[in-house]
Amino acid sequence: MTYVNEFLKKEKPADYYSKLLEELEEKNNKFHAFNVLNKRISDGFPISVKDNICVKGMETTASSKILKGYIPPFSATVIKRLEKDGFSVLGKTNMDEFGFGSFGINCEVPARNPFDETRVAGGSSSGAAVATSIMKYHAAVAESTGGSIAAPASFCGVVGFTPTYGLISRYGLIDYANSLDKIGFMARSSGDIRLLMSKSVGVDPADTTSVDVKLSDVKKEKIVVIDELYDKIDKNIKLSFDSSLSRLSAAGFKVQHVSIPEIDYSVPVYYIISMAEASTNLAKFTGFKYGLKVDDFSKEYNEFFTEAREAFGEEAKRKIILGTFIRGASVRSKYYEKALRIRRIIRDKLSKVLDDSFIISPTMPVLAPKAKEAESFSPIQNYSMDLLTIPPNLCGFPTISLPSDYIDGLPVGLQLTGGQFEDNGLISFGEQWEDSFKYKFKYNIGEL
Amino acid sequence: MEDEEFDRLLRVCRLKVSAEQRKKLKSDADDILHYFDRISEVQCDDIPPAFHSVDIDGRYRKDVPLKFDDVEGILKNTKTHRFFVVGPRI
Amino acid sequence: MKIGLEVHVALPTHSKLFCSCSTADVDEPNTNICPICMGFPGSKPSLNEEAVRIAKTIANALNCKINQSISFVRKVYFYPDLPKSFQITQLQGSIGLEGEVTLSSSKVHIRRIQIEEDPARVIREAKYTLLDFNRSGIPLVEIVTDPDIVSEDQLREFLFVLRSLLYYIGVDIDKEIKADLNISLAENRVEIKNVTGIKNLVDAARYEIKRQSEIIKSGGVPEKETRSYDEKPQSTISSREKESDEEYGYIYEPDLSEFSVSGLTVPEHIVDARKVSRELAEKHNLDYKTLLELIAFDTEAMSLLRYGLEKSGLPADVVVNALEAKKRFGKAVNEKSLPLLADYIQKGIQIDRDVIMRIEKGMPPAEVEVSNEDTDKYIKEELSANPEFIEKYKKNPKVIDFMVNTVSRKHGIPQKKVADRIKHILAEYLK
Repeated sequence: MTYVNEFLKKEKPADYYSKLLEELEEKNNKFHAFNVLNKRISDGFPISVKDNICVKGMETTASSKILKGYIPPFSATVIKRLEKDGFSVLGKTNMDEFGFGSFGINCEVPARNPFDETRVAGGSSSGAAVATSIMKYHAAVAESTGGSIAAPASFCGVVGFTPTYGLISRYGLIDYANSLDKIGFMARSSGDIRLLMSKSVGVDPADTTSVDVKLSDVKKEKIVVIDELYDKIDKNIKLSFDSSLSRLSAAGFKVQHVSIPEIDYSVPVYYIISMAEASTNLAKFTGFKYGLKVDDFSKEYNEFFTEAREAFGEEAKRKIILGTFIRGASVRSKYYEKALRIRRIIRDKLSKVLDDSFIISPTMPVLAPKAKEAESFSPIQNYSMDLLTIPPNLCGFPTISLPSDYIDGLPVGLQLTGGQFEDNGLISFGEQWEDSFKYKFKYNIGEL
Repeated sequence: MEDEEFDRLLRVCRLKVSAEQRKKLKSDADDILHYFDRISEVQCDDIPPAFHSVDIDGRYRKDVPLKFDDVEGILKNTKTHRFFVVGPRI
Repeated sequence: MKIGLEVHVALPTHSKLFCSCSTADVDEPNTNICPICMGFPGSKPSLNEEAVRIAKTIANALNCKINQSISFVRKVYFYPDLPKSFQITQLQGSIGLEGEVTLSSSKVHIRRIQIEEDPARVIREAKYTLLDFNRSGIPLVEIVTDPDIVSEDQLREFLFVLRSLLYYIGVDIDKEIKADLNISLAENRVEIKNVTGIKNLVDAARYEIKRQSEIIKSGGVPEKETRSYDEKPQSTISSREKESDEEYGYIYEPDLSEFSVSGLTVPEHIVDARKVSRELAEKHNLDYKTLLELIAFDTEAMSLLRYGLEKSGLPADVVVNALEAKKRFGKAVNEKSLPLLADYIQKGIQIDRDVIMRIEKGMPPAEVEVSNEDTDKYIKEELSANPEFIEKYKKNPKVIDFMVNTVSRKHGIPQKKVADRIKHILAEYLK
């Protein structure tokens, strides 16, 4: 079943979109899912676009003050492809500034979790997950570097899909860490993900790292749990995960445990590579060609740039400083280059496991924390929350995050990882999962 | 990280922060670097670096000029003077 | 004394290095621009095949080892003309490594040839800068030499040899050569950034050598520093370095993958041109560089040169003159027209469009011998039509060439004869 096809079949009143926008605007004051709403939408299946993906003529800020006012003169390749195929951009969704965060709180007005407004929506694609969770007929174009699709999808109880690196063109994406960034989707069903993928994948001459591969719909009976990750999960999540595993065993899957000690280095390796790349990507923001403008051009350029760059949020500054340090000539081999070598080791180890199985884990090791609690986390506590989503993201493997349980009314997510280009196999798994597990939503804006 | 080194980094990054924020960022940086230092346990000098995790064959672009369709849209983002982009003083 | 160079050469492509914007010269600023060469958020580079092919050809011409799989790096520094605040360039993955250029009595080793993007053009005003991104993203190669040059003369020779080597593969660096010079007379290296033109490079080196040797003579040590060259007073001035190697913080360019260059072929005639020029220069005692320039990018010129020197029986200097005419007049100069053209050359007649038209019609040089008396008459007519000529001649005897040309052309008299008679007449006048 797909919401897209259901929507196309249903009779829609003439004022459908204006009513939808009205209701969204009202709900957005509460949940802050959207940075911008497209008031001119008048037909097509509504998609929202994470605010680090360019849509021609629509303000795109990646939730950063330094990009206030940037109007891209072009659209991302993925948006062009979807618009050509009957999808219409409903607006730009909230996020952690430049994608830097796991809870959606590193921005001016954080998005709120529809299941409990005092809790975070997850990040960095916070608005995309909230929009998907509150709207009946909608899909979100989002982006993941280290878990930015899966984390909020799991906290907000929607399906989050992160494709194999290179499968969807990144042209038009405002970079966090180019060797890790992947555009992907959130929806209310795996079938919708399949549809969106079929319209979006394929080589793009404008993105050299986009690949041309035929996707195969692999079926695997073996599902593997990695001990080192399992040990670090919160108790209540572990219980819920164990019961999901039992359900899968009962459905005929063979569950196995393996130990991969190197996986413990994933988080520092990921943050080293992503900070090194991010610190070069953020160098371009200097306050005069687009976005935030420093007015006084008579300031000497170094002073001028420094004044503009005060607009970065704290996590952005932290990443710029550390990223610049670890790629400095005297320590580059100790941090940046070493991390690139370890990435290969981890990828090769996981590839071996994925040869004949999928890897399974909860998506997040905890339930969505309260916003106040998340704000008090130290940077390392924050980074450690990504321990389950980072390994596949670091290695370019596709993942699907599926709602799998509700604890105290809060959604829990199950993450399945496939080998490179086994994307369709994960989607099929999701469809099978949905045959026996019904997702719950608190809002159904735009219902017909 | 020494104080001097931290201040050098701020200059290289073209960042200016308040005394309070400086203190926090520096202590965070020390903690994070300490956390990063864990990777020194791994012996991997003989492993080639993985610049990407997926193997990608470089595709070239043919040398055919093509005019961008919205030059005006680019320049609307910026301050111009006689078609020049205005930048800060050197 | 040690001198090393980092020479920047613009590559003659139709589109820019990482985007499809045209590289053509245009008057209006910011017309050949797009989100990529403006560094707009969301844009990504895609690599121009032709730029890599030309760079490979250059690396070949400079006897480099060719990296079969090339990659790019980001070099981060802040300056208003640099759109992304990092330049995409090359290091370990450079197109060419470990080459050499042979000079008359020495060799200059080439450390690396790297492909990189040009920043925007910047005009400094008192209270702001004006930027033209038409230049942003023009493909360049940077040729990095070892510090093997030990004198001003060698520097000059190296630049001329490099110029000829590049000329015949269609890269003209006559006007556009830009380079950084590293000069060290003692231990410390002094870098002189951004010197434009061969003459300025040699002048800058001469000044800097003098400056450093004076410091050493007075018991001092030249400091390690970066200077810039000012051509008006012909001196170098200490300048504050923008960033150091530590701060560039090179990382692999993650928006580009590795590129195989094995499929990019160097046109065969280029390889041949070098070989043929060297052979013929040695055999006929001619200048190698002159020959190389004559047959630059032109297989027809190459075979005509070979025919002229080996088979036509014409004197070598006449053949060289004929090839110079070929450069200007193209197809009209060929094996068939060569003997007739040689006639004109040997009679001292300047080869111009009229002469070429006569040759194309098969017309030999005017046979009628003009007498000395008539020649003198024509000259005197011309002199009385230009009464100021004598005064000019007194100040600058070179103006005689103009008079010789005019008379020779008007009346079809060989230049040499006109020149002889004019000198004779002028000597009389000035007695």
